[in-house]
Amino acid sequence: MRDRGAGFRFAVHGLGSAVLAFLLLPILAVVPASFNHGTFIRIPPETWSLRWYQRFFADPEWLSSLWTSFEVAVIATVLSVLLGTSAALGLARVGGRLRATLTGLVLAPMIVPVVVTAVALYYIGRYWGLTGTMLGLAVAHVLMCLPFVVLNVGVSLRGLDPTWLRAAEGLGASPARVFLTVTMPTILPGLFGGAVFSLITSFDEVVMSIFLAGIRAKTLPVKMWETVRLEFSPVLSVASTLLIVLTVVLFGLFRLADRRAQP
Amino acid sequence: MSNRGLAISFRGVARNFGSVRALLPIELEIGAGEFLTLLGPSGSGKTTLLNIAAGYIGPSTGRVLIGDRDVTDLPPRRRNIGMVFQNYALFPHLAVFENVAYGLHARGVPAADIARRVESALEMVRLSGYGGRTIRQLSGGQQQRVALARALVIEPDVLLMDEPLGALDRQLRQHVQLEIRRLHRQHGRTTIYVTHDQEEALVMSDRIAIMRDGRVEQIDSAETLYRRPRSAFVAGFLGESNLLRGTIAGIDGVDARLRVDGFDDVIVGHAADGLKAGARAAALIRPEAVKLAPDARIKARVIEAIYLGELLALRLSLANGQVILCRRFACDGVPEGDKIGIVWQPADVRILPDDAPARPQDHNVEEN
Amino acid sequence: MPVTTTMRRHTATALLLLPALLFLALSFVAPMLILFKLSVTAKEGPLWAYGEILGNAVYLRVFWNTLVVAVAVTAISVIAAYPTAYMLTLLKGWALTLAVYGVLFPLWISVLIRTFSWILLLEKNGPVNRALVASGVVDGPVQFLFNNTGVLIGMIHVLLPYAILPIYANMLRVDGRLMLASDGLAASPWMTFRRVYLPLTMPGVGAGAVFVFLLSLGFFITPALLGGISNLTVAMLIELLVNERLIWSLAAAASFLLLAAIAALLAVAARFVPLGTALEAR
Repeated sequence: MRDRGAGFRFAVHGLGSAVLAFLLLPILAVVPASFNHGTFIRIPPETWSLRWYQRFFADPEWLSSLWTSFEVAVIATVLSVLLGTSAALGLARVGGRLRATLTGLVLAPMIVPVVVTAVALYYIGRYWGLTGTMLGLAVAHVLMCLPFVVLNVGVSLRGLDPTWLRAAEGLGASPARVFLTVTMPTILPGLFGGAVFSLITSFDEVVMSIFLAGIRAKTLPVKMWETVRLEFSPVLSVASTLLIVLTVVLFGLFRLADRRAQP
Repeated sequence: MSNRGLAISFRGVARNFGSVRALLPIELEIGAGEFLTLLGPSGSGKTTLLNIAAGYIGPSTGRVLIGDRDVTDLPPRRRNIGMVFQNYALFPHLAVFENVAYGLHARGVPAADIARRVESALEMVRLSGYGGRTIRQLSGGQQQRVALARALVIEPDVLLMDEPLGALDRQLRQHVQLEIRRLHRQHGRTTIYVTHDQEEALVMSDRIAIMRDGRVEQIDSAETLYRRPRSAFVAGFLGESNLLRGTIAGIDGVDARLRVDGFDDVIVGHAADGLKAGARAAALIRPEAVKLAPDARIKARVIEAIYLGELLALRLSLANGQVILCRRFACDGVPEGDKIGIVWQPADVRILPDDAPARPQDHNVEEN
Repeated sequence: MPVTTTMRRHTATALLLLPALLFLALSFVAPMLILFKLSVTAKEGPLWAYGEILGNAVYLRVFWNTLVVAVAVTAISVIAAYPTAYMLTLLKGWALTLAVYGVLFPLWISVLIRTFSWILLLEKNGPVNRALVASGVVDGPVQFLFNNTGVLIGMIHVLLPYAILPIYANMLRVDGRLMLASDGLAASPWMTFRRVYLPLTMPGVGAGAVFVFLLSLGFFITPALLGGISNLTVAMLIELLVNERLIWSLAAAASFLLLAAIAALLAVAARFVPLGTALEAR
């Protein structure tokens, strides 16, 4: 179609690119910051070194928080996938108001401000012995991850034609066999996507974790939160960079698997 | 609305999309008040030409004139055209009145005049009292008429329509064809109408331009196109036709002799321009020109006989397998499978350059 | 036989839903109910906590500040998101893929990291201030941090994608021929935008604004790190009441006032904005 005016297009692309740069550049700024040599962070660094990476990996507190993050993320993801997949399958079998209500309940932790959920869970958690434990953190993270799993599996379930199930049953397959041979392959991409989103969400989660973490169970973001309130140590940018790399790798794996699942 | 609109002319207009030549240089003049239809298969360049007239696409070369005004470099909004889109492109968030009034608002017409003119435009398309409805409340046919009213109310110099009946069902389409024809008689505005439906073209047009591969193949009145097509493609596109392919045996003045493939006879008919002996060509015989004669020399077998009320449609097969269509006023029944004789007058035969793609019905048929 | 099959089906459905519902009941519904109970069972009286917050200028200021920040963040985000979403509709091929990832990528990076990044950038000796001073725009470094400026920048950075995505999804659904039709009817580009494109993209703008506004009302990390102690937000206030002042009933009351505001906003917004379809954009 006819040009709508070069000036106009230039303005739109200029504004849009500026906004994209505003979104992306600050995130990437922490990466060079992690290679500083000095004690004060400079972007870009005056002298480059891996000094703060050495510091990070030599510090038992940072290392144990990293390890805790891994453990909590894995527990939360496994729990979220199990609970969420089961819930998504159940939601697909009910209709009307009940479905809307239950979906609303599952998604509610996305809408309620995290601080509020965190305070509520923190209060009850103190009586149930959940605070300062790995389990408490995992439970809190599941609350944040569950909506992603239910949404993702729900979307892929829409691609499941109910007549396939009847056809499989009609061919004499047991319910378990129907699930493994028909349902499972259909929801696998959604399940995988939900799992990746859960891992990332759990790795990044801060607010819940601040309330529920303790000396014995402290995730990497909590350690970062505590540190950043005391000092702007270059170790922080090391931790940030590691988390960014982890997210990118997870996301890349997901896209790769997703592309393979959809020929 | 006494103004008949303005003439529009295309002077050497051509358009390329990348390396694709969508439109080859075209010279075309459409008179004030004329209704011209661009008829052709998809990809023939008819919509491209319409969009160049509207200004949505610029030509790669050439000029477009509306009246005496060179509009080539003007955007659509400065051309004073009325455009009816394929799916109407009515504004879904505006009521019928606002849709029709839109072009008047854009022209800064005073509110009182707008109300009057919109009202009379709605009356013209028989939608008085529908001004307050939303677009979604209207049927397809009503939407079509709103689109027409919106395009006409601004008193455009040229009215452009891009397959405006494509979304309607067949019955409604026939009705709206007559409606558009009536409106054109009434407002008399220069109109370019794009379609791939020959019936629409026949019902409404003063002239029809048959387009193919980015060229205007022939532009004439419907009758001339039907009776004196310049090529086998045109003949095939408008009405039903029998094409007997062969090689020119000789030219005698205005007539040519065609040696038909697989057929020991020579067919004589009026030769199209530019034919030479030895060239490939096709003899066009319209179905109604094929007559039944028991003792005629050419014999054919009846494959199919269908009564269409006052007409009898026959599908006949010649000895070489060529299928011939024949239409007679319903006379005596002709049993399928019978052998009969057929004849035609040389005056009803036209020998044309053979440029039409072979279609299954032109050649040997396996059925029966 | 049909009765038992139906019953078996229902039992299976219930068993599928049960684990998640049980989990939500214990870890979400029950804690929220207990928190609500806390808000109405202060020893000073059942409605004391609500009265204390609504009647105290200090707390009201926090609510007001939260509202002001949320409105500003929403307005700026939507204004910045609109041309960006429009640019996305103009892009094709690899440029589009790259740009869409550019919008989605930040969503997957921890808010903490993004906020920390802004601290590094906006510091007195950070690159932004150095560039401003070097270019002579300002004489000395600008104080971006520990005030509302820093909070706005950080929150807009986090929330902008939530505005861009629904607007972009809406723009994709607009029939391009409507703009051509408007042009053909002699409308100026400005009239086409104002009378056709803008009204048709308003649902997306509305959805984006609602998302951003809702999320910014409950924001915690960014204002806590980039804001100053004089610009508390409700989320920071709740944390402060729990962790520093240990007044649970006030924290609970503040929580439910915030929730009530969000619920009211959602109820109103749901009447005008197709929030469900906007979410599909993802």
